[in-house]
Amino acid sequence: MQKQQDPLNLQSLPLVSPPSDLWPGVEAELLRTGRRRAAARYAGGALALAAALVLALGLVLRAPPGGPAVQPEQLASSAQETPPAVPPKDVQSLSEANLEAVIALSQQLEGRLRRIRAEAGALPARAVVYQVELEDLVVQVDEELSRSPESLPLWTQRVDLLVDLERLYESGLRREYRQMASL
Amino acid sequence: MAQTPFDIELDDITLAQARRGQLAACERIFRAFQQPAYSVAFRICQCRETAEEVTQEAFITAFRKMRQFRGDAPFWGWLRRVVVNHAISTIRRSHKANEVEFQDFLASSAGEQDRVGLAMDLESALAALDVHDRAVVWLHDVEGYGHQEIADLFGKTESFSKTRLSRARARLRDLLEGPTAGADSGHGGDSGVLWRSGAGLTP
Repeated sequence: MQKQQDPLNLQSLPLVSPPSDLWPGVEAELLRTGRRRAAARYAGGALALAAALVLALGLVLRAPPGGPAVQPEQLASSAQETPPAVPPKDVQSLSEANLEAVIALSQQLEGRLRRIRAEAGALPARAVVYQVELEDLVVQVDEELSRSPESLPLWTQRVDLLVDLERLYESGLRREYRQMASL
Repeated sequence: MAQTPFDIELDDITLAQARRGQLAACERIFRAFQQPAYSVAFRICQCRETAEEVTQEAFITAFRKMRQFRGDAPFWGWLRRVVVNHAISTIRRSHKANEVEFQDFLASSAGEQDRVGLAMDLESALAALDVHDRAVVWLHDVEGYGHQEIADLFGKTESFSKTRLSRARARLRDLLEGPTAGADSGHGGDSGVLWRSGAGLTP
């Protein structure tokens, strides 16, 4: 088997190391991308807000007094026109496996967060605002999950939020330690 | 299936953190896979500078597209595909010749000399192959790619991969067994350093 796969024993050749550390170049590019994305998100958010304001203003100005601008029947019929897509069987089993993995990861992260909280105590005041916000979002996701407990996007969102919380704890505590060390 | 040096286990938490853009997690992944990634890039491109560029670009692409990794197969397989795709695109694009340096394979002790001496021969023979033949034989024999996968990478048919593999193996045997193999593949003499012009990204 080995002979057929690699008859000349090329696998015996040693791994080659790069002459220098390549991480700084990768890191610099990732940071640049992060800044660009943050700027785009900020600009996008501002545009979306402006668009929402214009839309709201338009609806207020165009809506006939006492009547809804859009008929609910219209919305319902347009929603019925496209039948819900049924995923093929193998895709279903794939997403079931994914779902289990994401749920397990969510539980793992919960455990880590519990440990961090127990060991480190409360967060510094500045970080608490974000902590509360993130925990509120987790609660919201949990409420939605209680309605659809097998939603992969919701579980993924939960994992993302827990990762953000963990990051918040780590960075908040690191800052606190630095401040204490400088005293 | 060949045991590839890419086959490294990563914990799910590191992956989730990297998906959320945490640089520390990205760095952990990079450090774990830098050497196998650079190695495969070098084996395909046969040029140190190009291999560096391919490795960096591949990791940047991988980290930017982490969300596309669905987690239904090992992460290393996905990452290796990104690296190999970058390397193959590069050799398909590039037509320039490059110099190759083999000083990394100098033996550090007399005991190692025989083993490294054998590796030197293989290195030289591999470096002497046509760039596409080399990529095909490496991907098939070392990384365990199938003919269809290789054909897809090059945008060719399966017979392209089979022909290239057979040609590459025959050429390697000639270079390794032939009485003039050393001279043929351009050994650099006692210094242990081989400089080959045209062994790199030639079409």
